[in-house]
Amino acid sequence: MNKVKTIEEAASLVSDGERLAIGGLLLQRIPSAFVRELARQGKKGLKVMKTAANYDFDLLSFAGCLEEIQAGFVSFEAEFGLAPNFRRSVEEGRVHFEENSCYTVISKLRAAAYGVPFMPIANLGESHIVDKFKTVNNPYGQGEVLVVPAIYPDWAVLHVQKADKKGNAVIYGPVYEDVIMARAASKIILTTEKIVSSEEISHEGDLAVIPGFKVAAVAEVPKGALPGACYPYYDYSSEQVKEYLSIKDNNALKSYLEEVRP
Amino acid sequence: MNRASCIIGSGLKVGITMEYSRADMMIVTMARLLKDAENAFMGVASNLPFFAIWLAKKLYNPDLTWLNIPGGIDPSPSSPPRTTVHFELARAKKASITLAEIFDMSARGELDVAFLSGVQIDKYGNFNLSHIAEGNRIKIQFTGGAGSALVCPNTKRVILWRTRHDKRSFVEKCPVITASGNIYRVVTPIAVFKKENGILFLDSVHPYSSFQEVEENTGFPVSPATVTPAPTADEIKLLNQFDPEGIREIEFSG
Repeated sequence: MNKVKTIEEAASLVSDGERLAIGGLLLQRIPSAFVRELARQGKKGLKVMKTAANYDFDLLSFAGCLEEIQAGFVSFEAEFGLAPNFRRSVEEGRVHFEENSCYTVISKLRAAAYGVPFMPIANLGESHIVDKFKTVNNPYGQGEVLVVPAIYPDWAVLHVQKADKKGNAVIYGPVYEDVIMARAASKIILTTEKIVSSEEISHEGDLAVIPGFKVAAVAEVPKGALPGACYPYYDYSSEQVKEYLSIKDNNALKSYLEEVRP
Repeated sequence: MNRASCIIGSGLKVGITMEYSRADMMIVTMARLLKDAENAFMGVASNLPFFAIWLAKKLYNPDLTWLNIPGGIDPSPSSPPRTTVHFELARAKKASITLAEIFDMSARGELDVAFLSGVQIDKYGNFNLSHIAEGNRIKIQFTGGAGSALVCPNTKRVILWRTRHDKRSFVEKCPVITASGNIYRVVTPIAVFKKENGILFLDSVHPYSSFQEVEENTGFPVSPATVTPAPTADEIKLLNQFDPEGIREIEFSG
């Protein structure tokens, strides 16, 4: 079965209000082109989650696509500063930031991936995050254990280095939480630097960590992570990050979304 | 304080031959704290800890296991990256681990040292990276604590670092606690704090600063302490060779 689609077709599979786990971390191997296409198509009410984000969640906040963000950290790093549109959207009450520790995002996804309703977690000291969760009595020992609920993404959206037409895919370098997301989500959308033959994927052996059976769409999007990096092919682009951060109003954002397309 | 005036304004002579910056002072102080550490973890936006761990492995503790977000165990980065999640931090790694597994190590109690930071740090060593609220709404949204809510109470020794030392950063009590736990030291551009009996005490003041400067810039009581030992020539030489562009000064610019 050929799952190859254009990026426009792939993005149109996502409905308003759905929950997306977005792969990569900060500016590393993020599905930037796909996120821009979601914004261009005017998606609304999305709930997004990952451990640490910047460009993707900041842009979707700016474009008015989001109802909720679940994350441990949303910011560019020292070179570029904070994520201005994420902050403004939360402060103005337009986006709900469900603050997590990176570990609790992972634990919620793990529960979904493991097919269990909740995940016991380690102690979080006096963090205010503790107030968000329930405790249970340890049935096999002493004391109370914090537990987090399973969270079920409708979609895992991942940018990978290689995939075949059936959505079997390889990730080179750090996988971050992409595999956990792929297991937890109902369905997967992949953007890939290159669509290759099944034989080529097969030869990668254990690096082929995404089996195609949950993949609904594969779009070939070279440089699809820019302005982020895609090891080993390209580093992130400081100029393009700064170009994005210089956008100050909705009209300029609209032009940006129309111009910066694969 | 912009970068130029930081290097010129706070560059100081050691003996008659050497200059160093506030970044250098913080890096060497943190590196020396790793002399007996088994492993050390650095996370996102961790520019100075990157240099501290690198320097500690070069000079003090070659067997220290370096853990980072791209998951390269004991990498050999050829140059300092501008982001501490760059894949340069996995270059020539000795083994691999995922970020989720590093958190699991912390949960199991296997993390010895971790470097964390806060926008606000209070006298209990608790810190806030979450937000400032006004009634029911969020008035100022910060970055979020990344892994710190887990890592802080579950790591044996946490080194907090902050490139600002002022009353807005060092407060009596954090209005929101993102993380709390096993604080070992707090390193700032002018001082080092130690946690004892549940609160932060001033451990040392850097050679170019003064107790008065620390007291004027800290929102909780402090008592006089010793002088932090200045950077050595070896430490500065190694840092300059590895980082000729001054990437370690990024946090001090703007």
